[in-house]
Amino acid sequence: MQLATRLGSYKKFKEYTRLVDEKSDPVFLRDFLAYKKSTSIPITKVEPASEIMKRFVTGAMSYGSISQEAHETIALALNYIHGRSNTGEGGEDPARFKPREDGFSLRSAIKQIASGRFGVTTEYLVNADEIQIKIAQGAKPGEGGQLPGHKVNEIIARTRHSIPGISLISPPPHHDIYSIEDLAQLIFDLKNVNPSAEISVKLVSESGVGTIAAGVAKAKADRIVISGSDGGTGASPISSIRYAGTPPELGLSETQQTLVINGLRGQVRLQTDGQLKTGRDIIIMAMLGAEEFGFATSALLVLGCVMMRKCHLNTCPVGVATQDENLRKRFTGKHEYLVNFFSFLAEEVREYLAEMGYTKLENIIGRTDLLERKPLTSIKKHDHLDFSNLLYFPKESQYMPIHQTTRQVHRITEIKDRDIIRHAKESIENQRPVSLDYAIANTDRAVGAMLSGIIAQQYGHAGLPDNTLNVKFKGSAGQSFGAFLAHGIHFRLEGEANDYLGKGLCGGRISVMPPIRSTFVATENTIAGNTLLYGATSGEVYISGRVGERFCVRNSGAISVVEGVGDHCCEYMTGGRVVVLGETGRNFAAGMSGGVAYVWNKKGDFDFYCNMEMVELSLIEDNITRKELYELISKHHQYTGSQLAWKMMGQWDKYVEEFIKIVPIEYKRVLQEEQMRKLQQKIAQVQHDY
Amino acid sequence: MGNPKAFLTIPRQEAGYRPVNDRLHDYGEVEQTLNNSDRRTQASRCMDCGVPFCHWACPIGNKQPEWQDMLYRGRWNDAYYVLEQTCDFPEFTGRVCPALCEKSCVLSLSIHEPVTIRENEVAIAEMAFNEGFIQPAKPIRNGKKVAVIGSGPAGLTVANQLNKKGFKVTVFEKDELPGGLLRYGIPNFKLGKVIVDRRIHLMMAEGVEFKTKTCVGKDIPAQKIVDSFDAVCIAIGCETPRDLAIEGRNLKGIHFAMELLSQQNRILQQMNVSKKDIIQAKDKHVLVIGGGDTGSDCVGTSNRHGAASVTQIEILPKPPADFNPETPWPMYPQILKTSSSHEEGCRRRWNLTTNKFIGEKGILKGVEIEEVEWMKEKDGDRPTMKPTGKKEVLNADLAFLSMGFIYPAQDNILKDLHLQTTERKNIATDANGLTSCPNVFACGDAASGASLVVRAMASGRTTAKAIEKYLLEK
Repeated sequence: MQLATRLGSYKKFKEYTRLVDEKSDPVFLRDFLAYKKSTSIPITKVEPASEIMKRFVTGAMSYGSISQEAHETIALALNYIHGRSNTGEGGEDPARFKPREDGFSLRSAIKQIASGRFGVTTEYLVNADEIQIKIAQGAKPGEGGQLPGHKVNEIIARTRHSIPGISLISPPPHHDIYSIEDLAQLIFDLKNVNPSAEISVKLVSESGVGTIAAGVAKAKADRIVISGSDGGTGASPISSIRYAGTPPELGLSETQQTLVINGLRGQVRLQTDGQLKTGRDIIIMAMLGAEEFGFATSALLVLGCVMMRKCHLNTCPVGVATQDENLRKRFTGKHEYLVNFFSFLAEEVREYLAEMGYTKLENIIGRTDLLERKPLTSIKKHDHLDFSNLLYFPKESQYMPIHQTTRQVHRITEIKDRDIIRHAKESIENQRPVSLDYAIANTDRAVGAMLSGIIAQQYGHAGLPDNTLNVKFKGSAGQSFGAFLAHGIHFRLEGEANDYLGKGLCGGRISVMPPIRSTFVATENTIAGNTLLYGATSGEVYISGRVGERFCVRNSGAISVVEGVGDHCCEYMTGGRVVVLGETGRNFAAGMSGGVAYVWNKKGDFDFYCNMEMVELSLIEDNITRKELYELISKHHQYTGSQLAWKMMGQWDKYVEEFIKIVPIEYKRVLQEEQMRKLQQKIAQVQHDY
Repeated sequence: MGNPKAFLTIPRQEAGYRPVNDRLHDYGEVEQTLNNSDRRTQASRCMDCGVPFCHWACPIGNKQPEWQDMLYRGRWNDAYYVLEQTCDFPEFTGRVCPALCEKSCVLSLSIHEPVTIRENEVAIAEMAFNEGFIQPAKPIRNGKKVAVIGSGPAGLTVANQLNKKGFKVTVFEKDELPGGLLRYGIPNFKLGKVIVDRRIHLMMAEGVEFKTKTCVGKDIPAQKIVDSFDAVCIAIGCETPRDLAIEGRNLKGIHFAMELLSQQNRILQQMNVSKKDIIQAKDKHVLVIGGGDTGSDCVGTSNRHGAASVTQIEILPKPPADFNPETPWPMYPQILKTSSSHEEGCRRRWNLTTNKFIGEKGILKGVEIEEVEWMKEKDGDRPTMKPTGKKEVLNADLAFLSMGFIYPAQDNILKDLHLQTTERKNIATDANGLTSCPNVFACGDAASGASLVVRAMASGRTTAKAIEKYLLEK
């Protein structure tokens, strides 16, 4: 395959596909299947390869797991053929959003949002043609990714909003998706941020995936990806590679049947991946129901991967999956090779279509009636395999669509943001300060998301200057209040908030306080819901009152002050500051690898609630920390008028003794190294000057 | 792979050859060895690839990453154990194998500095012999008898494998001592004969019976062997050399390469060689026709004789020096190979065909050669040769023909047993080595045509398995 794509020889490519397609014993389920023979048509009548190539995407391999060279080459190739490349879960350098001088773009069309939310900023989201929510990975369902600290260099840390040298752990679940309604909410949030992007949801092939897919289709996803177990990251644990996941054929077929029978198939596109290698794989998957096809391993192989399976060690000798400067120089892949690969694949698909007598790939999508079992193989046990359920062609197919025919209806035309955007025109266009006042109800969801999307489109990550747009709300805010809020916007909410406030916060400021005339004690009452600031990258949040569970999970840079939190606060946090002026729930700081948290240890029992696996506790000892904490508390008072904050500032010397500082051990080491480096630099500078 | 980053810091270190002026005066092995510590450091360069291409490239499927890891950890005994599972004679392959593994090593792709796999292999084998890890095994006999005809690498492998499985193996060898090409073909400076003897003695101690000076088909009818053994394996190699039927071929001074090489090996082993037949290259102008490994061995031997000049000519064009796009990694690269013998002094020329031998009084004096061109054919077919007319006469007192070997030499056996042959006159076999005769198998060069030692051993292993299956199911 490498030879064929390098030399651009279709003859060699056919040799390769023959080897794959005609292996002596079946390996994949599709190896048991064949299409029924029918009258062929001349190949000139089949749609051109360029049309077929639009259906090709590459797998989600993050910049971080693979090198910059490999990542950019893939993006370039896919943009060239009008397919779509995937960022993977690691953000993307904003420099790549702009087209290059030669007109080609290095931008990945698909921006992935995974459970870690690494690098998910508003700017990142608005620069997408498709936003993919990764629920799981085919090769390792139920596991999150891990980028070991030694692979995290300066640039990767920057795109992921972390600091170099810290391990970046993706949690197994999305902490803002615990039900299909939560998923619907996230899809709604993303659609608000970037209304022009399609939202896809990546599921894995498993028993029952059909039901899940039906839910996802109802949650208004535009596209569903069924990822199979056969592919897989080179660095997955061997147990996952060998024993986890099921073949894509099973999941795809189940999804297709469920969606068709329930009349949902017409509104979504189906995509599949899992060791697709040849034109034959593509047409069989198409007949099983897939409209688009993902390639990951094969794409890397074309670019020089030799399946070292050392991706996690940073020692890839061919410069594909490494961040080592010297090893990266050994990368020899070129985008032309990938273009060749995909053109050859499309060409082969055309040949098959001609042979089957169809002019368009669309005509065979979901047509399991065109598939049949191959003659029996030499292995006796294979006789027991029953393919009738896999190849079932629902009778509903007679009158229900069996491929995508229409678009999802996203209800984003009549939302509060439209009004805010209208009135904040002066701010958005001329960066002039504007203050607005709104009443808000809990049916107003994802307020601020669309607004932030527009600002990010115009000003990028920097957003507006400080305090440009001030919006006051009164009432009970719906879910995802201030999600992806951009810099320069201040949302002040008097009342209460639902779940997901400040999700993916991106520079904006949110303050929440009880109504002015309320009589209850703020510190004893919960004022906001669960999972606030999930995946926040920067910005500030001040909440006068207690909040629910999973506060600041996967926070990578935002600052927040609250007056009491539920369980799992600061889980998987990699950056930012969290101040809790009150009680915490259990499992505090689990998997926390960066950032600092301060907790007011009023009762002296905090160590009971803290998960000590990765962090160490200390008192507020040095002056810098003391000052930082005071600053945060005084800001908290400034923005929310918190009485507790006022009291603390009054008797600071007494209260500061009762605070505990929580720092991840790894983070502390990195900070110290950084400090030492700076110190040495300074000494060197002084010596030099002297 | 103790340290996954070792390959980034440790460069490839070859033991190298002895200095030319030193090695030219004797027939001792030219390759040197590293000390144990350096050897282990070299083994640590192995990256333990997820898909080990070395293993893929190796005809006998050696598990290079596994035994190199053990070598790195100093577990020499374990390393030998793993090595022995796939390779019968690592002390041979470790010396004379062209190391297909190293050519397909990922480090060869990445930095053109593959792990020193071949040298590591021989180091493990030598350690195993020196430290006494290798002791003769005493297999329990199963009562079946197998005859192996020929004691080259293929025959020895079959014998070794079957003997360990409990078969009573008798090896028939036409020459004075067992070893075949290992003993009579490969010069001492590449493979010392003590190494061959050591292995033969071990096999004898394990119960393999060698019947030397017994040419099957001449001294004993082949049919008789077939009748008196449960199975027979023919491993007679592919000894008929390609001849050059041109004017002056019968002049004195023109020899097949193997005449020189086997004679030199015989002399060094104090065997009888009749005085008048001795080929002596001292102070003579030597021309070696054929640019392969055998030719290179002739170059080395002639130089040791003290030839006045040595020239080697090849009909094909000069291959590229470092990279050939037609054979990319991990394929075996068709590139210019400079052996230790070439380093010792030799003029090499390409694109030359031999037109006629010119003699005086029946003795060779010169050779007329002509430059040729190779015309590329479309669709990757073999290129065709076109003479250019640029002729030249080279001074030569001796000419060695080393243009390859074409088919097995002892056709008596084939005739006696009525064995079917292939188009190229090799013995026709199925995938398991079974010939057209029910309990007669064939392996190695005799079945496949001339090839590498390691390929012969691989073929021997497959055939041994097939014979075992055949006899146990009978």
